[in-house]
Amino acid sequence: MSTATATADTHHDHDSHATNTGISNNKLAMWLFLSTECLLFGALISTYLLYKTRGNGDVLPTDIFDIPFTSVSSFVLLMSSLTMVLALSAVTRGEMDRGKAWLLVTAMLGGVFIGGQVYEFTSFYREGLGYTTNPAASAFYTLTGFHGVHVSLGILMLMSLWVAAQQGKLTQKNTETVEIVGLYWHFVDIVWIFIFTVIYLIPPA
Amino acid sequence: MTITEEPLALGSGVTFAQRPLGVLTRPQAQGGWKDWVSTVDHKKIGIMYGVAAMFFFVVGGLEALLIRTQLAFPDQGFISADLYNQIFTMHGVTMVFLFIMPLAAAFANYLIPLQIGARDVAFPRLNALSFWVWLSGAIFLNTSWIVGGGGANCGWFCYSPNSGIVFSPTHGVDFYAVGLLITGIASLVSAVNLIVTCLNMRAPGMDLMRMPVLTWMLLVTQFLLAFALPVITVALLLLLFDRTFDSQFFDPDAGADPLLWQHLFWIFGHPEVYIIILPSFGIISEIIPTFSRKPIFGYTAMVFSGIAIGFMGWGVWAHHMFVSGIGPISVAAFSMATMFIAVPTGVKILNWLTTMWGGKLHFTTAMLFATGTVAMFTIGGLSGVTHSLAPADTQQTDTYYIVAHFHYVIFGGGVLGLFGGAYFWWPKVFGHFLNEKRGKINFWLMLIGFNLTFGPMHVLGLQGMSRRIDTYSAGYGFEFWNLMATIGSYLIAISVVVFFYNVWKSKKEAVDLPPPGPDPWDARSLEWSIPSPTPEHNFDELPQVESFDHWWFQKYDIDDEGKVVRIANTDDVAQDGSATDVHLPSPSYWPLVLAIGLPLIGYGIIFNLWLCVLGGLLTGGAIYAWVLEPVDDPDAGHGHDDHHDEAAELAAVASGAGSDNEGEG
Amino acid sequence: MRSRRNLSGLVVLLGLLLAGCASDAELDTLKPQSETARQIDDLLDPVLAIAGVVLVLVCGAVAWLGWKNRVASYEGDDDFPEQMAHNNTLEILMTGVPAIIMVVVAVMTLTTHLDINSYDDANAMPVVVEGESTNWEPKIVVVGNQWWWEFRYYFSEDVTAESLGSDMKNLPPADIVTSGQIIIPTGQEVELLVTSRDVIHSFWIPALNGKRDARPGFFAPWKIEADNPGVYFGQCTEFCGLSHARMRMQTIAMTSNDFQAWVDQQMQPAAEATGEAVLRGQEAFVTNCSGCHLVDGLNGSEDISAPVQSGAAPNLTHFASRTTFAGGILSTYNDDGTFNRDDVSRWLREPEVVKDNAANDLPDGTLPRGMPNLGLSERTISDLVAYLETLGPRPTDEIIADSEVE
Repeated sequence: MSTATATADTHHDHDSHATNTGISNNKLAMWLFLSTECLLFGALISTYLLYKTRGNGDVLPTDIFDIPFTSVSSFVLLMSSLTMVLALSAVTRGEMDRGKAWLLVTAMLGGVFIGGQVYEFTSFYREGLGYTTNPAASAFYTLTGFHGVHVSLGILMLMSLWVAAQQGKLTQKNTETVEIVGLYWHFVDIVWIFIFTVIYLIPPA
Repeated sequence: MTITEEPLALGSGVTFAQRPLGVLTRPQAQGGWKDWVSTVDHKKIGIMYGVAAMFFFVVGGLEALLIRTQLAFPDQGFISADLYNQIFTMHGVTMVFLFIMPLAAAFANYLIPLQIGARDVAFPRLNALSFWVWLSGAIFLNTSWIVGGGGANCGWFCYSPNSGIVFSPTHGVDFYAVGLLITGIASLVSAVNLIVTCLNMRAPGMDLMRMPVLTWMLLVTQFLLAFALPVITVALLLLLFDRTFDSQFFDPDAGADPLLWQHLFWIFGHPEVYIIILPSFGIISEIIPTFSRKPIFGYTAMVFSGIAIGFMGWGVWAHHMFVSGIGPISVAAFSMATMFIAVPTGVKILNWLTTMWGGKLHFTTAMLFATGTVAMFTIGGLSGVTHSLAPADTQQTDTYYIVAHFHYVIFGGGVLGLFGGAYFWWPKVFGHFLNEKRGKINFWLMLIGFNLTFGPMHVLGLQGMSRRIDTYSAGYGFEFWNLMATIGSYLIAISVVVFFYNVWKSKKEAVDLPPPGPDPWDARSLEWSIPSPTPEHNFDELPQVESFDHWWFQKYDIDDEGKVVRIANTDDVAQDGSATDVHLPSPSYWPLVLAIGLPLIGYGIIFNLWLCVLGGLLTGGAIYAWVLEPVDDPDAGHGHDDHHDEAAELAAVASGAGSDNEGEG
Repeated sequence: MRSRRNLSGLVVLLGLLLAGCASDAELDTLKPQSETARQIDDLLDPVLAIAGVVLVLVCGAVAWLGWKNRVASYEGDDDFPEQMAHNNTLEILMTGVPAIIMVVVAVMTLTTHLDINSYDDANAMPVVVEGESTNWEPKIVVVGNQWWWEFRYYFSEDVTAESLGSDMKNLPPADIVTSGQIIIPTGQEVELLVTSRDVIHSFWIPALNGKRDARPGFFAPWKIEADNPGVYFGQCTEFCGLSHARMRMQTIAMTSNDFQAWVDQQMQPAAEATGEAVLRGQEAFVTNCSGCHLVDGLNGSEDISAPVQSGAAPNLTHFASRTTFAGGILSTYNDDGTFNRDDVSRWLREPEVVKDNAANDLPDGTLPRGMPNLGLSERTISDLVAYLETLGPRPTDEIIADSEVE
């Protein structure tokens, strides 16, 4: 008969998120979200692979890929993963100035990638590959556009972290927040590596 | 069942500490409707899901009655072909996305935290968001009747290229695409939330393999949702882009392949079947043991067969496409895969029967619904096996035989189970019983009406009556059975009226009846260890779980000879809900505001992009406000600036309260 | 009490199910009239039987347990039954038995499936085309349109998906183009290449075989054959928009002699118009109809690119040799064998009333789907009917009677 022993929560310990799995709710939610994203990109990539040769007599994305250019922008994005790791490690150690700097660099590298994508889309468009030109074009722009939106959201998150850190709201205690944003960022990078390999590098049959 | 009633009103004096620390303050519990629109309580959200789902059940049901009235006699012009196509489309969409899924979500929201011994879900505000987003999508979808030039008319499966702008020029399909995208967001958020809840928020000792079967089935369902929804999201976006921005995904003249839609749709669509059916499986797995006075037979098998169904559900989508010309090898592979999904399903049926075997069966209304579910689902499952024979399916597919099959699965297996669940948990949720006598009338009318409606459809299908035809000619042998089906559908309608009457009348009568107490059915899982209706804070103290059916073992023990002996009175071991000052997450308006923005964006895409800006501002603003909203915790006010932090707070609540458990006496 | 009623209800249901299927129904899937359809039926029947047994066992068990183990209430009853929570032997059995049943069913299914998806490549039959005997590998191109079926016969070459190309709206010229009724020789496996010019349809003659979707941009292989001469009914079974319910077709199987005679007749250009009304009708046809419909010998001999969404309208060269029209929903001849002037007139006068379509009052940028209302005068209609009646010989009384639609 152990009823009515009201237990108010009185203490908050931010370091021990006592969850059953030992992974905090936030991180677990991010992992789950990213796993659903796999299906989203999986469906988009499959769509492109199905349609990549369907030009309806018009120009195909594969005809006008500028591999050297995209390799450079891919490399930039890949490097941003490295700077993200550096940012996290700085925040973990409490070196907030360094952490802020790396966050900013990461966001900027992402920005360079997006800029590259804008340039790529523009030049493709000039070469006659509009969004509505053919199924291959629609699939290409939708897939890479979706990825671009993901990168942009990532940049937004990084900048929010930077602003919060600037205001002193993001401290060493919030390492996990940085880690979770990092998870997202790495995921977006990995997806791009996959897209770059499968869509750009593997030549059409 | 109206939104204004307050089954959760507390006498225990729970108050909300309100110390505004951020830019915005969080609303306080005020009572009345404001309480409902700002709530983040999983129980209130569950109830709202239930109420809204039942509303759309009525909408979808009226659509069904129109369909059956049109088909009662051959060559009728009761409704036009165009309207008929809209009605059967909206009937399907409504029943699947706006009735069964949210009704299952109602059970999931209300019961998962209770069954695993938690104070709330992992992310209470996201939970509120899921509900409001779902509701806004549901309403949005139905506004196409008014502003979209009629409902979608492409069938719930909306095959391209018929769904393209050329063949479906009204806005119905746009509303379909955007509406389902919005409800999809809701389900996705909810799925992530509930998975985290199940994995992370369990009470001490509540191992995964001690979770009730219902929670397990709901967990599997959430995984299916989490992985199926992104695929339909892509499909719907491609459809929307085709219709709105002229992209070329589904235009065969431009070299596109209409099969792309079919694959994407059914990769979602088949797991969707299990999303619909597994919650009901879970519900009857709670009801049957309770009213057999036995534990569920083969708990482990029950869990793993559920997981197996979940996994195999991903490998069978193309059995919806046996006649689409996907090639004989694919057909053979998918045919085999489909057959073997019958095995875990069969295991479930046999386990329920074995649970009843040698039991003491008390046929309450809930038990009637549960056993009815077993029998009716078996019929649906068996006709399903006959479709898995790919050659036979070439005769059956797109005929009424399929209509019969999936109604036996979805209505017989799903809806009957959910009704059983309503009767079973009603006292827990609302603090009074639903009248048993009226409940039994409800059950028998529904069972007979159901069989009279859908049984004849087997015959019609085998006689060659096509699906989705707005009328049929005399002379094909369709007349008699169609009339029977129509009569049956009206019987179902009457049974639903009886249900609503029962809800209303039972509430009125409840004042003169003794309260049900915490455990009116002598049941087995944790939600029965706390008062009815559930106190706002769920558990006075979190239980220390020692076994599967932990609550039952608080009341009973099994002696050395295998005999059950009572070791405690229910009222003595049950919690009395008297705890005060339990910290609970604060209410918030932002989920609702965010949810209102989304349909505005939807209207914007369809009608005028300026509306998109308005909706975007509303949604974006709500996200911003959400993030800046204080978490309402005196100690957590510092350093938190992202919207994830409420979970950490709750986890701390759970651990803080749980560590103080004294065990039982 | 619940249980017994439940059980008897199910038995009655099962009985009704079987009884219902025995009634006269033109589209009945359980009355196969060809080798393929029989194979399907032979596969389904034992599985239905197994399913029936399982059904009776499970529902019987629910009913029997419900009856035997029922108690009125638990009030004051603290005597619990044996708490059996698991039993390995039983559980293995409960998994194994369904699995074994499914293996048996799977083997049966695979055999039949591979059988009905194999095509006889050595079944050429001689057909005389324009005086020359050719070896025809029976193969017919089936094209779905909103909301009617076209059937194309190519005798001179062995058509394949490749030779037909991917532009469904401009298929290579065929020897015979007909609609609504597909004519096949009996006892011959006839290969079909099923496609569509607009949305997805499904071609289905239940007595002869299962269905196959007609998908734009793709030729789906399928086959039908009929044991005996006769008329076999079908209905489009993939939802294809507004008039899905009114898109029907028939297969008319003929002996090879009759088939040859039919070919000879269909290869002819349209009959010469004679008589005042008929000539007026011919003129009205040229004025009003020839933009979409072809009458070979009158307004060309190759397919017309019709200004409708599917780009095609039925070829009317031998309109009166077919016993159905308007997408297979109306009979060309009355019971007594006379030309069905009433329905043909009605169709010309107000097609949108006879059959829902989207051919008038269109949104901007869309083409008509279905037969438009041309606002013809009664006199024009009467002339057109007179003209249409002359297009083709009247089929035999037997075919007229057997193919009659409501």
